[in-house]
Amino acid sequence: MAKRTIIPFGPQHPVLPEPIHLDLVLEDETVVEAIPSIGFIHRGLEKLVEKNEWPEMVYVIERICGICSFGHGWGYCKSVEGNLGITVPPRAEYLRTIWHELGRMHSHLLWLGLLADSFGFESLFMHSWRLRETVLDIFEETTGGRVIFSVCKVGGVRKDVPDEKLAEIAGTLRGMIPELKELTDVFLEDLSVKNRLEGVGVLSTEDAKELCAVGPVARGSGVRMDVRLDGHGAYADLGFEPCVEEGGDSMARCKVRVRELFQSIDLIAEAAGHMPGGDIEVKVKGNPSGEFVGRMEQPRGEAYYYSKGNGSKFLERIRVRTPTNANIPALVRMLQGCDLADVPVLVLTIDPCISCTER
Amino acid sequence: MSERKDLIQDIVTIEASHLLESVSDIKSEGYRLGQACATKAEGAVEILYSFEKDETLKNFKVSIEDKDPEIHSISGIYWPAFIYENEMHDLFGITFRNLALDYGGHFFKIASETPWNPVEDRGAKPREASGKELKSAKTDKENKKDKVDKERKGK
Amino acid sequence: MPGLKIGKMIMRSLGGKPATLMYPVIPREWKERTRGHIAVDMDTCILCGICGKKCPTDAITVDRDAKTWSIGRMQCIQCSCCVDVCPKKCLFNEATYTTPDVYKIVDTFEKPEDQGSAANEGSLKCDDTCVFCGICAKKCPQGAIAVIREDKKWEVDDDKCTRCGLCIEGCPKKSLKIE
Repeated sequence: MAKRTIIPFGPQHPVLPEPIHLDLVLEDETVVEAIPSIGFIHRGLEKLVEKNEWPEMVYVIERICGICSFGHGWGYCKSVEGNLGITVPPRAEYLRTIWHELGRMHSHLLWLGLLADSFGFESLFMHSWRLRETVLDIFEETTGGRVIFSVCKVGGVRKDVPDEKLAEIAGTLRGMIPELKELTDVFLEDLSVKNRLEGVGVLSTEDAKELCAVGPVARGSGVRMDVRLDGHGAYADLGFEPCVEEGGDSMARCKVRVRELFQSIDLIAEAAGHMPGGDIEVKVKGNPSGEFVGRMEQPRGEAYYYSKGNGSKFLERIRVRTPTNANIPALVRMLQGCDLADVPVLVLTIDPCISCTER
Repeated sequence: MSERKDLIQDIVTIEASHLLESVSDIKSEGYRLGQACATKAEGAVEILYSFEKDETLKNFKVSIEDKDPEIHSISGIYWPAFIYENEMHDLFGITFRNLALDYGGHFFKIASETPWNPVEDRGAKPREASGKELKSAKTDKENKKDKVDKERKGK
Repeated sequence: MPGLKIGKMIMRSLGGKPATLMYPVIPREWKERTRGHIAVDMDTCILCGICGKKCPTDAITVDRDAKTWSIGRMQCIQCSCCVDVCPKKCLFNEATYTTPDVYKIVDTFEKPEDQGSAANEGSLKCDDTCVFCGICAKKCPQGAIAVIREDKKWEVDDDKCTRCGLCIEGCPKKSLKIE
C-alpha cells in the first residue's frame, strides 16, 4: 500500500496564479484527493449596498474584478433595469456588446499568456501580452481607462463612440488576425505545449453536467451551453453559435478559448457594421422595488446577478455569483488522478478568478 | 429576432419542508443548479435557489426564521451546492443538515461572527441603510489614525 | 527544428524595435478620453456640495464657510460621477494621472476673493402656480427648502441656498426662478 502524504498548495506559491488553497492528498506523486479552501480575499463588497445609493453602486460592482470588469457592470445594470422595468435603446445595447466582446478578447489573451507561463514558456507569455496591449489601447481611446471603464450605467451607457471610430476599431482588430493566428498556432500545434496539455485533466460530459460546470470548462467537454443564446444585448441580431469541443481535456478547453477569440473579432466587426442610430441612454425615474435575477456570459462562464429593492434609494440585496464559484467542484474532480506537476496547469485551465469568487 | 428569454423570472415560494421534494423533481426534469443565495428580511432569512435549463430560469424561494436558522441541505441531490451553503453558513449563521462537505464555519476568513445576520439583530427589522452617516463615521476613525495626509494648495 | 512553431515570431522580434517604452525618460502619450485626474474651475464653482454627496468614495469635501473645494487624490477612483452631476459643469477630467507619493495627497482649491457671494445673483422665488408637492425640498442638496402641504407653506433659507438650480429643474409646474 503506497504511503499517503498531504501537501498544502497555496495561497502563495510561485506557479499558482490565484490565491486558492488546496490540500492535496498524494500517493507517490499522484493526486488522490484535493480539498479546496477559499476566502483569503473576502472584502464583503455586496454589503456596500447599505452605504451607496443604487446609481453609484455600479462603480463598486465593476471593481469586483479587473479582468471581467465590464461584464460585472453590465450585469448589475441589467438586473436593476429588470427591476425597474425599463428597456435600453438599441444603440446602447450594441455599444455594450462591443465592449463586452473586447473584454472577452483581452481576458482570453491574458489567460493564454498565463497558461504559457505556467509551464515555463516565457517568451510565448510575453508575446500574448504584447498583443493584448492593442485591445487595451482601444479601451483607453473609447472609455478612458485601460482596466476599469466606468462606462455602463443604469439606463444605458455614459459615452458614445462615433461610427467612424468603430469602423477604425474593426479594421485594427482585423489587422491583428494574422499575428493572432501565428500565436494560437503555437498553442495548438507546438510539440512541447501538446505534451503538457493533451490528455491532462479529463472531465467527461456526464461529469460536466452533474457538477454544473459553466463556461469554456463545460463547452470543452461537449456541453452546449452559453448565456448569449438567450437573446440579450445585440446577440439575437448577430446570429451567434457557441464554440463546443469534444474531448474534455486541457487541450479542448484551450481550443474553445482560441476559437472564441476569433469569434469575438467577427462579432465586433459585424456589430460595428450594423450600428443603429439614436440615443445612448434613457431617463430613469423612481426606485427599484421587487426582485430580478439576471445572467451574463463572462469570459469565464455564466454569472448570476440578483438584486432586490424595496422602493428606497438603497437596494436591499445584491448577489453576484461568478463562474469560478461554479467551476471549483469541477476542478476537484479533475485533480483526482493527475500528477503533482500538472496541478498548476489544471488550476489554470478553469481560468480561476478568485477575487470574483469571494467578492 | 428571437424572444427575450432572459426576462422570464418564475420565482415560486415553497415551504421548507417541501424543499427536497421539489428539488428532486426538478433534477429529474434535467435542470442544472445555478446559484443559492440568502437575504435578510424582517424576522426571517429568505433563501433563493435558481435552476436553469435551455436558457430559462426557475427559482425557488424558502423563508425560515432567523433566530436559529436551520434547513436541510440539497448537496445530496446537487453536490456543487456545498460551496453556496458553506458561504451562507459563514455569513448568515444558517445550519444545513447533512451537508456533503462541511467546513464547520471556516470557509471564509472573516473577522466577526455571521456579519450579515448579527446576533443582536435577529428577530428585528434589518438595519436601515444609513448611507452617508455610516460613511462619515468611518472617515472620522480613519482621520484619527492617519495623520500623514499631505496638503497641497491649488490655484 | 520540428515543433518550434514560435521560431518565426522570435526572429521577427530580434530584428524589430522593442515593444516596451522607456518610461519615464520618454513621456507617455495619453489618449483624448483618458480619465486621469479631476480638475475644477473655481471661477464657476458655486460650492453647492452635490459632487461631495454623490462621490462613492467620499473623496471630495466642500467647505462653504471657508470657500474651499478639496479632493483626496489617492481616494479618488476616477469614476467621473462628480463631472456628470455638477450643475454648473465646472469639473472635468484631465488626462494625466496623479504621481505616486508616500503620503496621501489632498489638493485644496480656494474660491478667488473678488468673486461675490451667491446672494448677489438674486434669491429663489416661488410663484402662485405652486401645488406644494414637495419635490423641490426633496431634491435640495443643502436642505434649504421647507414645504408644508397642509398649511400651504413654502419657504427657503436664503443662507443655505447655493443657487444650484436643481429645484428649478425638478419643479413639475415650473413655479421656481432666481431673481
